[in-house]
Amino acid sequence: MGDKKKQKLTPEQQQYQQLEQKHELKRPVVKNCIKAFLVGGTICLIGQAITYFYIYFFNFTEQTAGNPTVATMIFISMLLTGFGIYDHIGQFAGAGSAVPVTGFGNSVISAAIEHRTEGFVLGVGGNMFKLAGTVILFGVFSAFIVALVKTLLTMMGVL
Amino acid sequence: MLIGRQSWQFANRPVIESWASSGGPFEAEGNLAADFDILHDDLWMGQDSYEKAHRHLLEEAINSALQKVNLSKEDMHFMLAGDLINQITPSSFAARTMQIPYFGLFGACSTSMEGLALASFIVNYQGAKKTITGASSHNSAVEKQFRYPTEYGGQKPPTAQWTVTGAGAAVVTDNPDKSGKPVTTSATIGKVVDMGLSDPFNMGGAMAPAAADTIISHFKDLNIEPSYYDLIVTGDLGRIGQETTYELLHQSGLNITRNQFQDCGLLIYKDDQPVQSGGSGAGCSASVLYGHLLNQMKKGVYNRILVVATGALLSPLSFQQKESIPCIAHAVSIEMN
Amino acid sequence: MIQSINPEAGATNDFDDKNVKLAEKVKKDIQSLDEIYDVAVIAGKEDTLVAYKVKHMKRFGMKRIEKEINKKLEKNYPGENFIVSSDFKIFIEAVELRERMKDPAYSEKKAEKQLQRIISLKKEMT
Repeated sequence: MGDKKKQKLTPEQQQYQQLEQKHELKRPVVKNCIKAFLVGGTICLIGQAITYFYIYFFNFTEQTAGNPTVATMIFISMLLTGFGIYDHIGQFAGAGSAVPVTGFGNSVISAAIEHRTEGFVLGVGGNMFKLAGTVILFGVFSAFIVALVKTLLTMMGVL
Repeated sequence: MLIGRQSWQFANRPVIESWASSGGPFEAEGNLAADFDILHDDLWMGQDSYEKAHRHLLEEAINSALQKVNLSKEDMHFMLAGDLINQITPSSFAARTMQIPYFGLFGACSTSMEGLALASFIVNYQGAKKTITGASSHNSAVEKQFRYPTEYGGQKPPTAQWTVTGAGAAVVTDNPDKSGKPVTTSATIGKVVDMGLSDPFNMGGAMAPAAADTIISHFKDLNIEPSYYDLIVTGDLGRIGQETTYELLHQSGLNITRNQFQDCGLLIYKDDQPVQSGGSGAGCSASVLYGHLLNQMKKGVYNRILVVATGALLSPLSFQQKESIPCIAHAVSIEMN
Repeated sequence: MIQSINPEAGATNDFDDKNVKLAEKVKKDIQSLDEIYDVAVIAGKEDTLVAYKVKHMKRFGMKRIEKEINKKLEKNYPGENFIVSSDFKIFIEAVELRERMKDPAYSEKKAEKQLQRIISLKKEMT
């Protein structure tokens, strides 16, 4: 909590918040990091295995195998979400299962499942990207900025 | 009768004639499964949306409470109910089914005691002979509104709480035959307390000062000691909120023993259930009181209890706009006659 | 994947001594680099395919290694056209082609065609 926010609190509120802090359970950060590392690593290992599967059995090179791998991983995470397993993985792994592309698939499909009682157009269609929408927006926006910077640098002859 | 600053004493001692609770699959695995009248093994409960299942829970609890004393819904003069969903539709839609004159209440998770206090007040002053009051919540419906989608794999911090899927309802009457029945003797209406906390994943910490404020006011208004009660039970403070409230009460000089002070949100689930800090939701205090606690009173385990239901009066909009969480608590004293 | 296969160098035209020699020499040249543990070379009519595997911990410098190899080849074999790739797919395809070429029934024309297919695979990478 920033100091700026603290200033707005009355002394009574500050005193209470100090008292409350004592009882508050802290997130076990180190433990969470280790879990995230292990689960995230396992997800990447599976992804690597799928990549090699595509290289061995299909006409994909290391470079082009990325696309079908991502699609497969998202598909798997969608199935896991639908069967109600992914949220349990998420509670255990935290960032480990949220950061890989599977987390993106999960955020899309969980929102779609959640709102299917409101119908396909306004429910599923309108809410599917409720969580993933920001990822897409800021992902595209930052890609645009990076591309712009690179183009300018190339034009100026720096790169 | 008004007593002190913010309390009512019910001289005519309204009777809690019957009570019933219903719950979902997660509650069926919990500590108090035996005290639920109806338990579902499916969150959908045979309905096609969670909101309908939510309404269904309340209807079942009300019907079951009525059946126990052979009353029909036509015998009820008023119904007081509420929940956490937008515009309290599950309760209002249940009232449409029931066709009982209806007050819709919103006090977040404190709705159960708000309802019981008002029902007792109405009955005490002959505003009605028989009323029914209840509160409910449904995990999936409430999480959908306040948090992320239920299947979303976000990590909940250890301060988070699990919304109870459950409903509780009680029939409050002016029956002159009060022997062996629980009666409401007094109620304290809380004021909104805001200590500036703004983390929606730590409701217990936000609600603790409201609970403490109401409990302190209760003892001051009625001029009694905490030892008067066998049990002081809070609604859904959870682990953190309960510890904090206990410390606040001690600081204020109230002499409450640790065993005397419990929390519905901690009673309802087993320790090994993944609920982080405990249960929460309007259905939490309602289903525990109108099930476990009143059953225990009937068995003679407790004679006098003070139920303090706490509510966090936030909306998904207000916390996204970085507003702090205002909280409230209402207390009702229940005694065996 | 991890172990070194060390495939023989070869040329699509076995009778063309010059090409076979070139392939063998290139293989030796590239193998002498520290970061590399496995090389497959196939010399075609005009293009020579060089596929290699980079040691795991050295993979951060893949771009630099590729540049180094290109420079080295250009210097040592002026006038030759090389297609250089660290891609695993290209490597296994090259090994497979070399195996097939051992069969005398596998014609030079077919081998050349297959080589061109591998080269086109490498070029479509983006």
